[in-house]
Amino acid sequence: MTDNINTPTDEYHVASLVAYCMQDQIGEVTQAINAIEGAEIHATSVEGKIVLTLEGESHKTIGKKMDQLRIHQGLINLSPVYHQVLDEGQ
Amino acid sequence: MTINRREFIKANAVAAAAAVAGVSVPAMASNFITSSDLTKLKWDKAPCRFCGTGCSVNVGVMDGKVVATHGDIKSPVNKGLNCVKGYFLSKIMYGKDRLTTPLLRMTNGKYDKEGEFTPITWEQAFNVMAEKAKDALQKNGPEALGMFGSGQWTVQEGYAAVKLMKAGFRTNNIDPNARHCMASAVGGFMRTFGIDEPMGCYDDLEAADAFVLWGSNMAEMHPILWTRLTDRRLSAPHVKVAVLSTFEHRSFDLADNGMVFTPQTDLAILNYIANYIIETGRVNKDFVNKHTNFKLGETDIGYGLRPEHPLEQKAKNNGKTAGSSTSISFDEYAKFVSTYTAEYTAKLSGVPEHKLKALAELYADPKIKVTSFWTMGFNQHTRGVWANNLVYNIHLLTGKISTPGNSPFSLTGQPSACGTAREVGTFSHRLPADMVVANPKHRATAEKIWNLPEGTVPAKPGYHAALQNRMLKDGKLNFYWVQCNNNMQAAANINEEGYPGYRNPKNFIVVSDPYPTVTAQAADLILPAAMWVEKEGVYGNAERRTQSWYQMVEAPEGAKSDLWQLVEFSKRFNIEEVWSEELIAKKPEVRGKTLFDVLYKESSVGKFSLDEIPEDRLNHESREFGFYIQKGLFEEYASFGRGHAHDLAPYDRYHQERGLRWPVVDGKETQWRFKEGTDPYAKAGSGWDFYGHKDGRAVIFALPYEPPAESPDEEYDLWLSTGRVLEHWHSGSMTQRVPELYKAMPDALVYMHPDDAKARNMRRGDLVKLISRRGEVQTRVETRGRNKPPKGLVYMPWFDASRLVNKVTLDATDPLSKQTDFKKCAIKIVKV
Amino acid sequence: MKKFNLITMSSLLIMTLAPLFYVSTAISADKDTINTVATLRDHTKVDEQKTPNTIPQVMNKDIKQTRNYPMQPPVIPHTTRSYEVNTNSNKCMSCHSRHRTEKSQAPMVSVTHYMDRDGNFLAEVSPRRYFCNQCHVTQVDAKPLVENTFTDMHSLMKNKVTSAEKD
Repeated sequence: MTDNINTPTDEYHVASLVAYCMQDQIGEVTQAINAIEGAEIHATSVEGKIVLTLEGESHKTIGKKMDQLRIHQGLINLSPVYHQVLDEGQ
Repeated sequence: MTINRREFIKANAVAAAAAVAGVSVPAMASNFITSSDLTKLKWDKAPCRFCGTGCSVNVGVMDGKVVATHGDIKSPVNKGLNCVKGYFLSKIMYGKDRLTTPLLRMTNGKYDKEGEFTPITWEQAFNVMAEKAKDALQKNGPEALGMFGSGQWTVQEGYAAVKLMKAGFRTNNIDPNARHCMASAVGGFMRTFGIDEPMGCYDDLEAADAFVLWGSNMAEMHPILWTRLTDRRLSAPHVKVAVLSTFEHRSFDLADNGMVFTPQTDLAILNYIANYIIETGRVNKDFVNKHTNFKLGETDIGYGLRPEHPLEQKAKNNGKTAGSSTSISFDEYAKFVSTYTAEYTAKLSGVPEHKLKALAELYADPKIKVTSFWTMGFNQHTRGVWANNLVYNIHLLTGKISTPGNSPFSLTGQPSACGTAREVGTFSHRLPADMVVANPKHRATAEKIWNLPEGTVPAKPGYHAALQNRMLKDGKLNFYWVQCNNNMQAAANINEEGYPGYRNPKNFIVVSDPYPTVTAQAADLILPAAMWVEKEGVYGNAERRTQSWYQMVEAPEGAKSDLWQLVEFSKRFNIEEVWSEELIAKKPEVRGKTLFDVLYKESSVGKFSLDEIPEDRLNHESREFGFYIQKGLFEEYASFGRGHAHDLAPYDRYHQERGLRWPVVDGKETQWRFKEGTDPYAKAGSGWDFYGHKDGRAVIFALPYEPPAESPDEEYDLWLSTGRVLEHWHSGSMTQRVPELYKAMPDALVYMHPDDAKARNMRRGDLVKLISRRGEVQTRVETRGRNKPPKGLVYMPWFDASRLVNKVTLDATDPLSKQTDFKKCAIKIVKV
Repeated sequence: MKKFNLITMSSLLIMTLAPLFYVSTAISADKDTINTVATLRDHTKVDEQKTPNTIPQVMNKDIKQTRNYPMQPPVIPHTTRSYEVNTNSNKCMSCHSRHRTEKSQAPMVSVTHYMDRDGNFLAEVSPRRYFCNQCHVTQVDAKPLVENTFTDMHSLMKNKVTSAEKD
């Protein structure tokens, strides 16, 4: 698949997710999330849950960022909860 | 504005995810929107307003308006999903033609049956209503009063109405529109198990190896359950889906074995399966010996038409004995079903033998966990109770019942057909918790809970739905109040029964609705109603799940909830005006009081104070009446069932939960009834305990195939089946006012086989008339739509207020359940 | 994220005028539609029938329609006539799946569609979302029978931001 994530669009995407991670690896996962552009952590819990958002300009960027995260070893599961697109080209 | 919008939706996204994770978001993060007061969105849970699936939705309120809804991710029913109707719930309250003032037919400032609808005040409306009710009462007694309610009433509304009619006005002439949709299911449950409602639950969807749809188009009518079934079928390759119907529809898209049968022959197919199970030696003998009895049911029971109808004159057993039966042995039963061979059944039904055999094998194979689903195909059937009995037979013969995945499952059409109509007992023959008015002990129980004198509740069952329309026409039912349904559009045979009944000069018809429906149009007085989250309430879904919601927004100025209307109206009657001196003498302290005092305020309904309502909650009715009326009604109603296998949790708990499945015993809900280990009422050591019957046994009924009331002939040469569509709910009074839903499915077309159209020289889009012996309706031909009828049958949905297909349908009913058969009548189609 | 810039401010100013206009037109139209009966029947009597209109065309312009609120499923802006969605194939996914959108330029299905019932993230679209037409519907070219006064949250916010500005 060609990497065309930088193609500018008029869309603004935001997805919120819950990441469940190994309790002893919250730190690593947090770091990994922070390393992703457009990712932001809003809350974490002691049991290892992280509430985060991903922002981007297309479905593909969001998907790609999710894939990037999903493979992290400290992560048990990543659940997308919410996804909205704002078409700003109108 | 862009930045603001981005931040706004991001905040929503965060809030949704935080709710799922159960993590609280620090204040800084959740309030990062500028001037957060302006953008405050309050989310709350409510059950969906539409079908009996009972999905939970999150409702977003801003500025006193519902601005968004979405599937509740915490709900075990729908886990975040909605169907297309559910996703548009936000808009159902905002049709521009919401009614906001009572409208009375008037000429020159006075009530006139032939007058024009004129706005009046609530005070005037109740004045004229009370006058008409008292007049009818005085002239013709309590039987001249009647009410037609709904499986869309909240539990509290249904309960308040039952009390008002049965104890207040002392008439049993109250019936819900659930009569049109669930009565045969109730009859089936009561006959086979002695207790109403499914033993299984939706968890069966994830446990079954095979699904059989009997006259149920789940893909359109129960879409969220269909997503669960689809999930199971596509995730587990061994799972099989069989679909039976009189025409091909969307559920066939997932079918491994799709079968189109000749109308009414489902009775034969069911008996064939029983025969197949017996002949191939796969009866679960241990289960059958321990847990079942066999009975031979009465036959030739007529078609629930008017007594002078030739079919009723001909029927031998259409009187009181129609539901009777005699005990038989297993061998006698086996002999009875042995005539339903594959060859005979295939010929009668039109379904090839190999398909019938593949279907029967799903039930017969002891290794396959099988769940049967049915809705209106079975229930709207002149032998609907039989069809229900017969499907239980095959689950009982194989012992495939009450365990995960083994489930004969009757689905529900309305959001609270189970909760309000069935559990509360808003039927003409029923009382709460499966009790009936004909039973003196049951009446005594009700009178005790209501703290009313012995003999208050009349023993004679009242007029059921079809009979109400007939009695209106005959001038016997003179004051009639319709709430929360659209029966002029929904009931069969509009031309001969419904419309002449409403317009009979002897009668006064009141219709409460949020919108001007066809029924409202046929009324004399229209009352504007509040709806859904404009009031607090409880609904009960098809898997016995009781769900509550709070009032979230104010109704439009002038519109009042059905509950408020019922209770406020009760203030207009002094006990002396409605009860006999003889009855009052048994309880003299009621003298001088109103029905409001006796039935609500001074009964246990009135015992919860306003302090129990959270301060930030709206509650129009309670704050007006001075007590927490929804809680009072619920708790009093719940006392009927607690300790009697209908246990409900304390009211407040339902505000915390995404519903609980009754019986709720020791704080725990029940998933599978009648099975030891999962049902607290099943006796220890019993294995299975069908405790609805005294001996703990379920009944296997020997019942034959009998022909339908009306079949096509030379002149009326086509079958007509009616029903719903995905995009509209019932009569479309809410969904037709949502532009997206309207534009998705604007008009009711007649779905025809292309060859049938061709033979009549018709093409798609042609204007045609459907004509029956009772009336006609015009519409356009559809030959390539989502429904593909076989030759000889056409399908037309009834949601369209401008094309009333029920002018054509026949008001034949199941003589046992009194439910109308909307699926079969004979018509012809001609070009206009 | 806390970027306030001139664009925001100027767009706010433009918004100040719009709501006033809408309010006045709404009131004058109300008189015709409020508290009349048989709005869905075009004021035809119950025992009569108006000649049914012709079957309207499905809109097929591929122009995306704005959603009313975040979780509303987008409506389908093209016809789906003879699209097969059954156990063998899903025609919708031949354009809208993640692997196909590059070629088709169709919007990809939302990421929420990858979550199963228990909240696990799947590599493919969840089977429970398989039948697209349970949520996504086409639209015909017809005028709604009755106007709907639903206001989405953005419009409400705009109105409030505007009135706050005026104070």
